[in-house]
Amino acid sequence: MTATLEALRDTPPGTARPRSGKRGRAGQGIRTFYLFVGPWIAGFVLLTIFPLAYAFWMSLTNTDGLSPNWSYVGLDNYVRVFQDQQTIASLGRTMVFMLATVPTGVAAGLAMAVLLNRDFRGRALFRALFYLPAVVPGVAAALTFKIIFDKNAGFANAAIGATGGEPISWLADPYVRMVLIFMILWGVGGSMIVSLAALQDVPRELLEAAKVDGAGPVYSFFRITLPLLSPIIFFQVVTGVIGSLQVFVPSLLLAPVNGAAAVTAVPEGNYFFMVHVYAEYFAKSHFGYASALLWVLFLFVLLITGVVFKIGNRAVFYGGVDPSERKD
Amino acid sequence: MTETIARRARVTALYICLIVLAVIFSGPLGWLILTSLKAPNELSVFPIQLLPSTPQWHNYIDAITFIDFLGYARNSLILATLSAVLTTISSAWMAYGFARLSAPGKKFWFGLLISTMMMPGIITLIPTYLMFAKMGLVDTYVPWILWGLSGAAYMIFLFRQFFSGMPKELEEAAILDGCGHVRIFWRIFIPQSWPVLAACMVLTFTAAWGDYIAPSLLLSSDRTTLAVAMTAGYVNEKGFPVQNLLAAGSTLFILPVLLMFLFFQRFFVQGFSTSGLK
Repeated sequence: MTATLEALRDTPPGTARPRSGKRGRAGQGIRTFYLFVGPWIAGFVLLTIFPLAYAFWMSLTNTDGLSPNWSYVGLDNYVRVFQDQQTIASLGRTMVFMLATVPTGVAAGLAMAVLLNRDFRGRALFRALFYLPAVVPGVAAALTFKIIFDKNAGFANAAIGATGGEPISWLADPYVRMVLIFMILWGVGGSMIVSLAALQDVPRELLEAAKVDGAGPVYSFFRITLPLLSPIIFFQVVTGVIGSLQVFVPSLLLAPVNGAAAVTAVPEGNYFFMVHVYAEYFAKSHFGYASALLWVLFLFVLLITGVVFKIGNRAVFYGGVDPSERKD
Repeated sequence: MTETIARRARVTALYICLIVLAVIFSGPLGWLILTSLKAPNELSVFPIQLLPSTPQWHNYIDAITFIDFLGYARNSLILATLSAVLTTISSAWMAYGFARLSAPGKKFWFGLLISTMMMPGIITLIPTYLMFAKMGLVDTYVPWILWGLSGAAYMIFLFRQFFSGMPKELEEAAILDGCGHVRIFWRIFIPQSWPVLAACMVLTFTAAWGDYIAPSLLLSSDRTTLAVAMTAGYVNEKGFPVQNLLAAGSTLFILPVLLMFLFFQRFFVQGFSTSGLK
């Protein structure tokens, strides 16, 4: 970090005119800093801290969001979280979803990046084709997959029909979870682009030196490239884990009913923790209980992120090229 | 001789892999477009028909009139532009503070900024919505203005990385000339950073254009965005989706994002490589 360097050359504006005393200078520096950074701090307090606190307050009450008759119920809602079968089941489903999508997504993205990290004709075209689905908005992706997996007009059943099989109700249990996972993995190009950018930063001299020493491509991939890429892989795992624990919008969009009623129609296989939270808020108006669920999820995400960091600190190799020394 | 054969085989294998992947990845959009060109009676025939017998181009016109497509598209355009412009400018503004100024507490705030990048966003969204509802801000664009003005952590980080790499002589000379930081930011840093500005604009615009959950919570059905309207609008009087028009509408909905992606492709990639993530 350059903070120390910058502290040494702190030159606030208006120093063309000599100022009296160090204190005035520093004071102006502070004011300028907060002039620039202040809006973010204000936004953080108003749009992150405040909603979290509001949810925490609601979690201690039995409010339904509308009626003026509510009372404090202490930690009852939190006790209920652990007695609710739906909570445990939906949390389990969310964990399975995470384990099914994060490792495969990162590995597939890396494999595709390796495939594209060489010179050949049509490279830019393939890169664009693989990355394109990642920029398709989630709503459009869900509508597309609903059309492909439609029981009557979809491509999936067309293919099954061509081989003589019976049509499948893809958008119902137990298949709908598979459709969701296909849909998520369709966007793996996002991970590919990140890995590809990192692969292109692996110093060529290192790989050439290994080749001169007689190392094969597989050996140098696992011994040189992969360790150098481990920070970026770790970054993807962390963001993937956090994202998949919150999975919820794709479940709503793949539900057979649309609009506000969608949440009550989500098939069990896609009824993830956050779907449960949403249903408790907006289908059942259990604002207090739903807020407690939200806080439990928040703490759970923090816990899992902590665990991932603990493991990551051992597995990630940070001794590579310092990004600040890299020549771009 | 054998070497060239082995080489040929390797290149062929590479292309086979790539072509198979290309088919898998472009397949869904291909099917969407094929469906959008089918006549209603071609949608549920058995065995299912791959190609439309005659492309029904008028499906695209029907898709625009079936729902108030242009009205919703205008809402989306306003919202996405508002969000992109505000987020980009404010993120750059705050990044300047983190990159070029110093004050006690800077390390703390920067650490907090980085950790909010890992904040589960959906968790704050529902209570934020309830809060805005209490303040009577539902069905207005005020929430997006507030989100825009307070910047996006990831974008602040991108700009901060970019600004940190700019030569210090730039603003030292300007300060000697009596130029304040606000002017340095507008006159020197902003004009120099157009690749990041473009990347940030494109990324925030497409995110807002495609966002489903915030508008579905915060906007009523006639002020809502195309993304929300798409999911509910294309149903017949019996409540069944009109697949071909839905597909045509979806194609039109994706089109601006795809065009932006094709024109600004390198900014998407640059966005990631300039970030210097550790």
